[in-house]
Amino acid sequence: MTTTEIAPSLHPAGPLTEAREKMGRRFAYGFLILSIVPILIGYAWLIIATLSIRTEGLLPRNAEGGIGGFTLRNWDFITDSAIWNAMLNSLLIAVAMVIGVGVASTAGGYALSRMKFAGRKGFLSMTLVLHAFKAEMLLIAIFFVLRWLGDIPLIGDYIGFNSVGGVALVMIALELPLGIWLMKGFFDNLPWDMERAALIDGASRFRVWWQIMLPQVRPGLAALSLFTFIAGWNAYLVPFTFTVGTKVANMPVFLSQLISDTAPTNWNQVAAVGLFQMVPLIIFFIFTQELLLNIYAGGSKGT
Amino acid sequence: MRVELENLSKSWDGVVGADNITLDIADGELVAFLGPSGCGKTTTLLMVAGIYKPTGGTISFDGQIVNAVAPKDRGIGMVFQSYALYPHMTVFGNISYPLRLQKLEKDEIRQRVQQVVDMMGIGDLLDRKIAQLSGGQQQRVSLGRALVKEPQLLLFDEPLSNLDARLRLTMRGEIKRLQKDLGITSIYVTHDQIEAMTMADRIAVMSKGVLQAYDVPEALYDRPKTLFVAGFVGNPPMNFFDVEIVQADGDFRAKSGGIDLVIPSDRAEKAAAVKGKVVMGLRPEDVDLVDDTSPATEGLTLTGETTVVEPLGREDLVQVSIDGVEMRVLVDKTKGVRVGDNIELAVNTTKIQLFDPETEQSLLWA
Amino acid sequence: MTQPSEKEALARAAVGAPGPQRRTLGRRVRSTVSAYGFLGPAMALVFVFFIAPGILLLILSFTDLSSANFNDPWNIIGFANFERLFTDPFFPKILRNTVFYVFTTLILFNLGLALVLALVTTSIPRRTGFFFRLVWLLPRLTPSVVYILMWRRIGQADPYGIYNQLFPEVLGASGGNLFLGGSPWTFVILTNGFIGASFGMIIFTSALESIPKDLLTAAKVDGASMWRIIRDIKLPLIKWPLLFIATYQTLSLLTSFEYILLLTDGGPGLFTTEVWALTAYKRAFASYAGNSQWAFGATWAIVLVTVALLLAAVYVKLFKFNELIEEPRIENL
Repeated sequence: MTTTEIAPSLHPAGPLTEAREKMGRRFAYGFLILSIVPILIGYAWLIIATLSIRTEGLLPRNAEGGIGGFTLRNWDFITDSAIWNAMLNSLLIAVAMVIGVGVASTAGGYALSRMKFAGRKGFLSMTLVLHAFKAEMLLIAIFFVLRWLGDIPLIGDYIGFNSVGGVALVMIALELPLGIWLMKGFFDNLPWDMERAALIDGASRFRVWWQIMLPQVRPGLAALSLFTFIAGWNAYLVPFTFTVGTKVANMPVFLSQLISDTAPTNWNQVAAVGLFQMVPLIIFFIFTQELLLNIYAGGSKGT
Repeated sequence: MRVELENLSKSWDGVVGADNITLDIADGELVAFLGPSGCGKTTTLLMVAGIYKPTGGTISFDGQIVNAVAPKDRGIGMVFQSYALYPHMTVFGNISYPLRLQKLEKDEIRQRVQQVVDMMGIGDLLDRKIAQLSGGQQQRVSLGRALVKEPQLLLFDEPLSNLDARLRLTMRGEIKRLQKDLGITSIYVTHDQIEAMTMADRIAVMSKGVLQAYDVPEALYDRPKTLFVAGFVGNPPMNFFDVEIVQADGDFRAKSGGIDLVIPSDRAEKAAAVKGKVVMGLRPEDVDLVDDTSPATEGLTLTGETTVVEPLGREDLVQVSIDGVEMRVLVDKTKGVRVGDNIELAVNTTKIQLFDPETEQSLLWA
Repeated sequence: MTQPSEKEALARAAVGAPGPQRRTLGRRVRSTVSAYGFLGPAMALVFVFFIAPGILLLILSFTDLSSANFNDPWNIIGFANFERLFTDPFFPKILRNTVFYVFTTLILFNLGLALVLALVTTSIPRRTGFFFRLVWLLPRLTPSVVYILMWRRIGQADPYGIYNQLFPEVLGASGGNLFLGGSPWTFVILTNGFIGASFGMIIFTSALESIPKDLLTAAKVDGASMWRIIRDIKLPLIKWPLLFIATYQTLSLLTSFEYILLLTDGGPGLFTTEVWALTAYKRAFASYAGNSQWAFGATWAIVLVTVALLLAAVYVKLFKFNELIEEPRIENL
């Protein structure tokens, strides 16, 4: 092979690339900032609206139509027992989901990852299909299942249609395929020798799971718990479909009732309730940023 | 192509990667950048490639400053430790990629790729996917991709580190031969001193971002200019002792604990100016076991007790404790040295190195 | 049972399990029973809330059950519901809406914007990129009701709407102004797109970050421009994540309707933004003249369930499912 003369474009490329790079960087930042404007505007309005009598666009207006009209009256609902009832229901659903999904997924995920049994492959593929499948389409039939569960003597009132327990059960079931799949993944990554050692030492399979394996997947379980808590706290469609009236409404349903009432909507009060509902989410957002981005990459549900 | 680096520096937020590197590479020369990991050799290489922008200094190709020239316009080919082959392309796809980017005619691309694969002996692999190749084959493809552009400058970033020992030996010879045949100026980054010594025309030894020495291999070995170079070049490494040089009865003697050696005056004179202790360096191969064939001479021996014996095959690497100071020496294995033996060593004092403990500079080869 | 390899035999010996010759049916049954003990809670829930409702939905679609004849025994009416569905005067419109909504949102946001965001945020300093991705996560984190509340305010008509206040004359879609009532599709796609883009963005980001740095350096040295690096190296290397997001999000968009329900409820007017999934839901739960048509709603739903299951099967294939299920390395105990 012959060596050619000096590469032809050795000099002219110099300052050009520099300028081009700078332009590229400016374009990148411009694009990113522009892209988040709608998101920031939404939150800006939410915060401004909660503190004013009424808003036009992003501007707070006072009674005469000038700028101003700041007030804390929108937060009066804090003393209303209905909202605390809704908050309690939200909390119950979220906590039940964390526990239910946590227990069923860690146990199920362990069996699918680590045990050999008839039907393993079938259950695995079903989990994966259901994980991709959107259960919203089954709500019509689940409605009937819940009515039947409600007819069970003694416990029926707590797990049937129009009960917090029923909503929680449905929500747990809908999150399960994701939970099992995630936990299976975490168990898959654990070394086999540790488990073999425990079995040689005489532990039962249950003890191995509880004492040896569970502590190893604690970070995974924490991520799953955070994810399910947020899903439960934000749940709208399932509680909206399977509850009637205000007694069993959770926060999102309570909020939607404020909007859809026949009387004209007090947007500023609605904004305040909305912001109030977001308090735990904002706390998570500030303190668990890295974790949040990771768990939503781990195979989240939703569009 | 001639390459000149002048006061080349790179730092990130106060962390220095390369500090004031100045060296020149002649046309057709193969220069090795040698040093432990994190010494700045790869940083310097990537600046030459145009991947990193220098924070100071200049890089010139044939007298032209190329600091602001994009990598693709520098006329370079590069071979990586990880091979960096595009996994979704075939061998042909990989090797032809630089040419396709230059928008050459299909026929010419095919012809030039063929030329390169014939030279590399991988002509029958053209349609293979990368994952189907062995490590050695991948290395050849990677080299082929670098060569197909007919580069002015070849950059190697630890290209043989991922190969097994035997293949490394073969590839070492092959790369060296190719480089000489084609006459392409090359920079070869490695942490393996044997690779550097055997392949390079000149070696740049680096440590903590600083160029410690830049010279032909023999010079680095025989005349190390700094304590670092002395300790880094040569395997097993040089032994160091803190000694005092005293002049008595016309002789210069190096003294410390159990050590009392007569040093040739041409070497010792240069060191005598230093008050207090100096660092004396002695290579493990520059001693011999005292026996019938090599008798002891006053002032040229050391005695001690062996604490460890490691058979290396041809020789034994013996660790000797000389009045509490540990020293490693190479001894013919037929001598049958065992742990606990008291042995007497004849020292070739004409090979002794002396360093200033403060500046860590050689007192002999300033 | 195939002949166990030497390694497996060693593993079995290590845990003190009997070799093949001493294996009995009893042991095999016991190991399966203990596995099902772990799986029990999950299986019960999956059966009650996935399998049973799935079967029930199919049965319902062949009945005429509604809130009008709720207390009567179920009446099987054959394919009447399906005939009614396909001859519905609004059927073509709903189908068109669904296809338009799914593919526009998918291509513009869930794939397109997601990819651009991932490419841009990975080519700027790490912390800055992380910050922007975090902000993009906000819509997904916000309760749907609150999120839609914000968009409704953004898209409201004068004088309340935020968009119209900021840009009174630009990009007019209806009467010189852009607002929810005037161009509902814009807002339906924006609201869903702003949620959907972040998922792809996160997945693509981690895929892009796992491309070895050497490959990009090699491409630069080979003479590739930024655009060619994206086209020739980055995109081919994230082919699988792209395909995964495409199928997964098609499924998501096709079957979820929560945000449309909250934003427009299919309106304004007749079926303007109504999609298939929303129709199914509304037929069953929002009463038409005081009558919840459960069976008819179920018919709309079962069609969608069938499509969704087919897509899910494709998705499982793409996932190279069989490579994912490694055999356990501790045998029957």
